[in-house]
Order: sequence, then C-alpha cells, then structure tokens
Amino acid sequence: MNTSNQLKMTVYSALFVALISIGAFIAIPIGPVPIVLQNMFVLLAAILLGPVWGITCIGVYLLIGLAGLPVFAGGTSGIGKLFGPTGGYLLGYLPAVFVTAAISKGLGKKLSGDIIAMIVGSLIVYAVGVPWLKVVTSMTYTKALTVGMYPFIPGDGIKIIAAAYIAKSIRPIIKL
Amino acid sequence: MALIPFAFRPGKSALHLLDARLKFFLICLVSTSMLSASFVPCLIYSLLLILFFNLARIKVFQLLISMKFFLLLLGFIFLARCFSTPGDTLISAYGISISRLGVTTGFLVAFKFLLVMMTGLLFSGTTRPAQVKGAVQWFLRPIPFLPEKRVAVMISLSLAFMPIILKQNQKVADAQAARCGNLEKNPVKKIIRMVLPLLKKIFLCADNIILAMESRCYTEDRTDPEFQPSGKEPSFLLGSLILAFVFIVL
Amino acid sequence: MQPKTADHKSDQTPDKAPGNIIDIQAVSYTYPDGFQGIKDITLSVCKKEFILLAGKNGSGKTTLLRHLNGLVLPDSGQILVNGKKINDHLIATRKTVGMVFQDADAQIVGDTVFDEVAFGLENLKFERALIIKKVTQVLEELNLYDLKDRNPRALSGGEKRKLAIAGVLVMDPDIIVFDEPFSNLDYPGAIGVLSTIVKLNRTGHTIIIATHDIETVISHASRIIIMADGKIQQDGDPKILMPMLESYGIREPCSSKLGFGIQPWH
Repeated sequence: MNTSNQLKMTVYSALFVALISIGAFIAIPIGPVPIVLQNMFVLLAAILLGPVWGITCIGVYLLIGLAGLPVFAGGTSGIGKLFGPTGGYLLGYLPAVFVTAAISKGLGKKLSGDIIAMIVGSLIVYAVGVPWLKVVTSMTYTKALTVGMYPFIPGDGIKIIAAAYIAKSIRPIIKL
Repeated sequence: MALIPFAFRPGKSALHLLDARLKFFLICLVSTSMLSASFVPCLIYSLLLILFFNLARIKVFQLLISMKFFLLLLGFIFLARCFSTPGDTLISAYGISISRLGVTTGFLVAFKFLLVMMTGLLFSGTTRPAQVKGAVQWFLRPIPFLPEKRVAVMISLSLAFMPIILKQNQKVADAQAARCGNLEKNPVKKIIRMVLPLLKKIFLCADNIILAMESRCYTEDRTDPEFQPSGKEPSFLLGSLILAFVFIVL
Repeated sequence: MQPKTADHKSDQTPDKAPGNIIDIQAVSYTYPDGFQGIKDITLSVCKKEFILLAGKNGSGKTTLLRHLNGLVLPDSGQILVNGKKINDHLIATRKTVGMVFQDADAQIVGDTVFDEVAFGLENLKFERALIIKKVTQVLEELNLYDLKDRNPRALSGGEKRKLAIAGVLVMDPDIIVFDEPFSNLDYPGAIGVLSTIVKLNRTGHTIIIATHDIETVISHASRIIIMADGKIQQDGDPKILMPMLESYGIREPCSSKLGFGIQPWH
C-alpha cells in the first residue's frame, strides 16, 4: 500500500510540474489584461500535495527549466533566467510552497485556512522576488515594488480565492 | 503538438553518439560562459552551431520558423534595450532617443539568448530522451537525500502531461465558448470554470497512468540507463574548454 | 426464464485444477465510495481460451479485469493465477497477466516507442543487453520496429494500441487482458489490432477481452461471459448465447440478428 501511495504522489507531483510549466502559457482574459495562472498552480500544488511533495514538485520544475526546457514565464529557460532579474520569484516558490502547505495542513485543510496559507505563500514569493529584482537591476525599493509587486496584487487575490474553491472540490476526487 | 522543436531527431552524427552526460555538462559550460562573451566569439560560435546542426541533419531554418514566438520575444528584448540604455544618441525623434550603445548591447543580448536557445535545441535534438533523463539522474546521484530515480521518472511523466494538458485546456475553452461562458463577468467564477474541469479531467488521466504503471510492475528500483562513450569525448571536452576560455577572456 | 448455461462453474473444486490458469472463487468487491463493483464472482479460465466479457457500461467488467492483475484486491473470496494466490504474488501475477487499458494515451510512460516497450522490463531489473534484445524482438513481431525512435504520443490510434500490446507482450505474459481494445479506432486500425490479438491467441496466449461492442471480435471468441449488475449472468458458447445479448443491454451483431449466425467481422 505504501509503495502504491508513493507512486500516486509521484504521478500527481509530475502532473503539477506540468501544470506549473504550462501555467506560463495558459492565460484567462479578465478585463484588459490576461491573467497568467502559473503562480496559482504553484499554490494549488502546495495545498493539495503537502510540504514534502510540494517542494519536490517545485524542485523538479526548476530543474527542467534549468536543463533548457522553455517552462519559465514567457517560454524562457536556463541558468541566465534563474539568476536574472525575475529569478527571485522562481526561487521564492520553494519556501513559499513549503510554508503554504504547512499552514494549510496545520489549519485543517479548510477553505478559510487555505486562503490564509496562500496569502502568506504569495507574500513569501514577493519577499524573495522583490529584493532580488532590486539587487539585480539596482532599482530603488519603491521602484521595485511598483514594478514587481503592486500591479499583481488584485490578480493574486482573485487567483487565491479561486484556488481555494478549486482545492475544495478537487480534494474529495483525488482523495488527498 | 506542443514542444515540437524539442523533439529528438534520430541520427548517427558525432553529437548523437557522444556520451549524454558529457553533452549535458558541455551545454551548461558553454551557455554560462557565453553570458560574458563579446560579439566576435559569439559570431564564431554561431557558425560552429550551424555546422553541428548540419552534421546532425537538423534543418536550422525550419527550427527557427517553428520558434516564431520566441524570435518575437527576442525582438522585444532588443527594442527594450535600445530604448532603455543611456549613451550617445543615434536617432532622436518625438522625445525618444535611441543610443548607439543601446543598439549594440540590445543586439548582443538578443543574439546570446538565441545562441543559448539553439545550443539547448542542439542538445535535445541529438540526445534520446531516455539518455537526457539518465544524465540528469547521474548528476543528481551524488547529492544526498535526493531520490534521483524518482526525479527522473517525474521529469518524463511531466513532459508526457504537458501536451495532454494543453489539449484538454483547449477543449474546455471551446466548450465554454460554445455555451457563452466568456460572458461571465465575475473573475473568480471565470477561473474556476476554466480550471476545475481541466483539473478533474487530467487527474483522471493521472489515475489511469498510475494503473498502467502498476500493472507493468513499476518500482523505483529499476534498470539504470547505460551510457556508451563514443571515444570522441576528450576532443569535444577540449574544444568546449577552449571555447569557454575564448568567451570569457576575449 | 432464461437457461443457465454457466453450470460448469459450480461443479468443480477450483483449487489447482489442471489446465486452469485463472481461478476466481466467490470474489466480491465494493469501491471505497460505496459503489458495488462485483458480487460473488466464481469463474475459471483454461489455457488458450479466447474469452469475450460482455456487458453494458457499469456492469462490472472493468472491475473484474482489474482483479486479474492485482490492481484491485478482493474484499472477500480469492483469486489464483497459475495456482498461486495473487495477494501474495503480485509481481508474478502482473508478469503472467498482461493488461491493455482502454485509454491508449493514458498508458504511455516512455518518451520513444522503444523506451515505452522497455518500461516493464526495466521495472523487473533486467540487464540492459537483454532488454534491448527482447524489445527489438517484440517490436519486429508487431511490425513496429521502424517506429522505434518515434514519439509514442504522435502515433495513430491503431499503432498506439499495438504499442500498448507490445509493452505487455515483452514481459512474456500467459494471459493478455484487453479493456475495450477497439474504442476510438478507425476501421483499418481496428482490423490491425484484431488480427494482432488473434495471432497472439494462436501462439498460445489466453485472451480476455471486455467490450460492450462485441461485433468486432465475436467470431473469434471461444467463450462469452455476460455480466450485469456486478454478477455473471451467462457463461458459455457464443453461438448459443447470441440471441439473448440484447436483454442485457448489449447490441447483438447484425449478421446474427438477420439470421446468418456469427460472421467474421472483416
């Protein structure tokens, strides 16, 4: 039973690696700007897969991007991207997934708990991404925040609420 | 099919036969050292690339056409650099000025991006997917607490899921459009209506893959991939080291 | 009432009956969500039989098939494959009973046709040289060798189904189980798959095919088992059972309806 559960988690994590990679291309038009769903899939991976498999999932995603597959935002890849201006957002996924998953688990995988967990998770992504952006591009903090965080907050809020409802309906189906 | 430019193209060129682990190391070496290179070495390297693509019988031109989207992106990178880099003015109109430095650095950056991308394509085009996986697994082996075999399986499964997800996403989008789903104004509902059916469908797909793997006796303790060095490894390593040296020094 | 032709199943002691490759004894299974899968199934399969498992959707065919391979273990009763209880010999069972699933796309694990066929042998930790030899042999046998470097997901429906067969055949199974092998295939694809299955039966493999569309395959079947509501309703000679198919929600082949008996499908 244990080995077959491990297989199940391996396949589900691989599924989320694919979703996060494809998430860079799946956009939903809302108002004038399309919303890209990549970070929503990252948060969903956290609350559905749990801390350990969530981290594994992000790790493999970063690895295939590093190996040259076009899975980073906008269809890019490689070491250059990972250490470029927006690399901090990618690396920030690692701690964010772990913390989001842990909070969601601690609060009993409930709708409200999931929302809190994902808000904290998103903040962690920015906490790594924005200073990284500032250092690499030598902007001021005000500029880095205006370019690299504020414009995304409304979209993130929408995605977090949607993700919480999606997790609620998916959990009984996949028995996680 | 998505990701077609990355498809493996069978062949018998020197690059095809080269040990995948070395090839993997060489692309990392060349792509990183290129970041600090100047124009002339890049130009020389691009000629080398074209030579190797020809030897591997991969048509460079077709490859470029299949990556139209990426080339467009490079165009944007070039333009962004043109407008944003300060320096002595080349052209100035309507209050926007383009500097000479902007044009040259913009071109160089876009050119390097293209070369890194093409290097990656040369690797994936001449290396069997099983060997790519094997090479990743081999490099991860020394890292403690890391289940490298599981990672290798996850990589190939996730590559298998990508086209399935894209196809399902298109189907869901079509079904929504057919029922006027795009008139929905509430953004949260809009996302849920797109993503929930997609997830339900692909999790079903994942459950089928799990069954198929179990029925074929899946374990993580599997036969390891085997590498067959072709004997040309030392010369390729030497060549790449010289290249990296030229990139960094010149 | 309808005649019970399945009388042979009650009058034998299934334990190690010679010639029986599968023995299913009073097996029931209920899904965790409360859905009744199969009820009190007792069934024996002899070597080299060509069995057609018919029934409408939801009749329990797939659940029964998954038991044969140990993908689902029974709540009560037991299953013997080659005289061995499957719960204690899962790997041996999965080598003996090869399973070809309904969704050809969802069972592809490898990145090339060659790797896809090698998957099972890699799991059994065969030596690399032996894997190459066996995979090459099977690919040649099924006329897939020219496709060996292709991406399996880019194959046609019929080729994909044949590839799935190659993937289990390479593990030398005695029994090959098919779940709806002709669904979503065009006519030439279905003919190709059918002739492969018939050939496998001739070379000594026991074949079990579950389908609700029996027309394609009935002329080759040596036995038909009709399921409904998770139970075996009829079990016997296809020629005799043919006229009562439609009362179980299975479409009777045209030739039989028109009074010509069972005709080959192509």
